[in-house]
Amino acid sequence: MDFEDTPEQERFRTEVRTFLAEHETELDHGDGAYLEEPGIDRINSLRKTQAVLFDAGLIGLTWPREYGGGDGTNAQQAVVNEELHRARVAGPVGHVGLGMCGPTILAHGSEDQKQRYIRRLLRADDIWCQLFSEPGSGSDLAALRTKAVREGDRWRIQGQKVWTTLAQHSRYGILLARTNPEARKHRGLTMFVIDMAAPGVTVRPLRQMNGHESFNEIFLDDVMIDDAERLGDIDDGWRVALTTLMNERMAVGGGGGEIGIRSDALIAHAAVRLPQLPAERRPLAYEALGRVLVESLAARYTGYRLQTGIEKGASPGPEASAGKLTAVRVAHATADLGLRLLGEDAVFSRSRDGDWRWATSQASVPGIAIAGGTDEVLRNVLGERVLGLPPDKPRSQEPATAKTNDR
Amino acid sequence: MNFDIDDEQRNFAQHARKFFSEHAGTAAARALLDEPGEPSPGRELLTELGFSSLTIPEEAGGVGSELLNMALVAEQAGRQLAGPSLATAARVAVLLEGRNDLLEDVATGRIAVAVVDGSPEASAPSMDVTSASHFLALDGDDLILGPGTVSVGEPIDATRGVGTVGMHLAETARVGSAAQWEKAKLVACTILAAEGLGAAERVVELAIEHAKSRETFGRPIGSYQSVKHRIVDDWVAINQLRSLVWWAAWAADHDPGKFPIAASAAKAYCAATFETACETLVHVLGGIGFTWEHDAHLYWRRAKVDRLLLGDETEHLTLVARRSLSNVA
Ligand SMILES: Cc1cc2nc3c(=O)[nH]c(=O)nc-3n(C[C@H](O)[C@H](O)[C@H](O)COP(=O)(O)OP(=O)(O)OC[C@H]3O[C@@H](n4cnc5c(N)ncnc54)[C@H](O)[C@@H]3O)c2cc1C
Repeated sequence: MDFEDTPEQERFRTEVRTFLAEHETELDHGDGAYLEEPGIDRINSLRKTQAVLFDAGLIGLTWPREYGGGDGTNAQQAVVNEELHRARVAGPVGHVGLGMCGPTILAHGSEDQKQRYIRRLLRADDIWCQLFSEPGSGSDLAALRTKAVREGDRWRIQGQKVWTTLAQHSRYGILLARTNPEARKHRGLTMFVIDMAAPGVTVRPLRQMNGHESFNEIFLDDVMIDDAERLGDIDDGWRVALTTLMNERMAVGGGGGEIGIRSDALIAHAAVRLPQLPAERRPLAYEALGRVLVESLAARYTGYRLQTGIEKGASPGPEASAGKLTAVRVAHATADLGLRLLGEDAVFSRSRDGDWRWATSQASVPGIAIAGGTDEVLRNVLGERVLGLPPDKPRSQEPATAKTNDR
Repeated sequence: MNFDIDDEQRNFAQHARKFFSEHAGTAAARALLDEPGEPSPGRELLTELGFSSLTIPEEAGGVGSELLNMALVAEQAGRQLAGPSLATAARVAVLLEGRNDLLEDVATGRIAVAVVDGSPEASAPSMDVTSASHFLALDGDDLILGPGTVSVGEPIDATRGVGTVGMHLAETARVGSAAQWEKAKLVACTILAAEGLGAAERVVELAIEHAKSRETFGRPIGSYQSVKHRIVDDWVAINQLRSLVWWAAWAADHDPGKFPIAASAAKAYCAATFETACETLVHVLGGIGFTWEHDAHLYWRRAKVDRLLLGDETEHLTLVARRSLSNVA
């Protein structure tokens, strides 16, 4: 066991740190992933940030070199993540592409797709989105009804998707659609790459409870997709989707990364605010701060153990779901305490001296507890796949269309 | 970074697991509630096998091992509700650092030492005093060692040997020991958390076993989400507790700057995690869980007492907060 850098990692760390300092003005900064000031739309500058990082070899470090990656190790990636964190660099705007779409294409795409898509995805030249959820199927994803019907060597898509993050900025997406309405519901799905600029794609941003418009609803009317844009085999889309979902849970918290406001930002905030509290409130505030920090350390060090396992060749299993669960809890507690430390100003979206971070995070965390598998769904995954507890009840295997047509 | 134990450590833990399953266990813990005495396996065996002198240097008759290895043993000890606590052994080893003569007495079992908190003349309730012949205490700024009179109360957990001590005829073992006292306490917190980790893991295993086999309304109770999710939350917390315990135990020897935060984090997190897991177990078992017969309450007793020993959750959470803030300043 050791937490030190090897001499080589230390050299690399210095290099990264120097680069981030020298290019500070070209990079966007912030106090946490998925945390934006209300009303700010800085997609373009965030894209530039990601491009600058990519050009320096700091994005896609572990991805194959032939598609623009760095062929590096997870250990190097961890060093980069720590340094990005330390320098307060904003999280990559192409997080859906990096966390979910890209890994899915690498695992299931054709050589041609990898050549065409991956490098531009890494550089945020193209933003990607994930078109899985529908009005009638979120947790029960395999119940989805968007149809893909084969016509020669193309597919005709008809249906509706919703909650699609970044769709309004995306050039491409990965789309899960039903290709066989007769088959049992997990068996009749197929995954495609969809061109978001294709005729028949309508994207409508939706306003969220935090005031942002990050997710969208999408109407797909007779959108045509070439068969060459299929990912994986026909009717084998569920297996492909599992790759995506597993990567999603690793990307969102699984590796011990923080998903709300970072704990060092909370500590800095508390260092200023806590001493200003009335004396009789301070003991409770110390205890509350300790509680958040301990939760955060527990999640972080558990992430390190998971990372060590991955570096030794283990593939992230369903237990990565635990990382998302705990990361959400930490994010919630961090936002809550940060806000309460504002004292009287905690009733405002922005304190009188301009601090909007805590109120925004407070209004954003509920979404993270839903996106990428709700807390309950993740607990089911852990209970059933990791602990071997029995499922709720035999799950419906009926074709999704048959079930809904009955009504 | 390599945050895992190695094969040698895994084997060592396996060896300890076997030892404690043969020489300690819930039957012994239950018997102690009716008939006071020394917990199993007891000081003599722990000394003989070198478990209690793991962190005593070789030149003082110990094994000279790192705290992490002690934590791995402690985890197995906790699983079987063994006593006296290895936390006491680890604490003594730190307090007597540099006094090889005294450490040798400890390592060979010539004296049986417990550490008492509070005033030496009338101590606070302290652990493992019922099986001790000698006591270590902080007197002003100095560490003193000597015999004492033990008074015991009615124990909630009889394996912890909790009592109050009045020391007399003590000699000074070390002058100016306040800092060392703090470190020793945090080392003990780390090992106590390791014992809690092992116990909590056993507890969640028992809950899982029962939830798979017990059926109500025609289906296993583990299929009900209110049962399943409670167990999952405990399991997740225990997995996180392991990270904190290993990190703290490692930091004791390798990262003194971070060690205090790590140790307090492990202790505080253990207090809540172990207690909650026990409460889940009792509840998930239904009526059986409330019987004297079942092992559940033995773990529950341990959890209810351990959470208060060596500083409660509030104390350690506050320490984590204060230390983190002082790192900023
Ligand atoms: C901020 C945000 C971003 C998102 N981004 C994307 C995206 O980019 N692409 C995409 O495809 N989707 C995205 N989603 C959708 C997300 O995956 C779904 O919202 C989520 O899976 C839940 O589905 P649902 O909304 O249909 O809720 P439902 O599935 O209807 O769930 C409603 C409630 O019922 C509970 N529930 C459901 N099933 C069970 C069960 N078996 N046991 C216990 N409780 C259950 C849930 O936990 C939840 O509390 C996003 C969502 C949010 C909030």
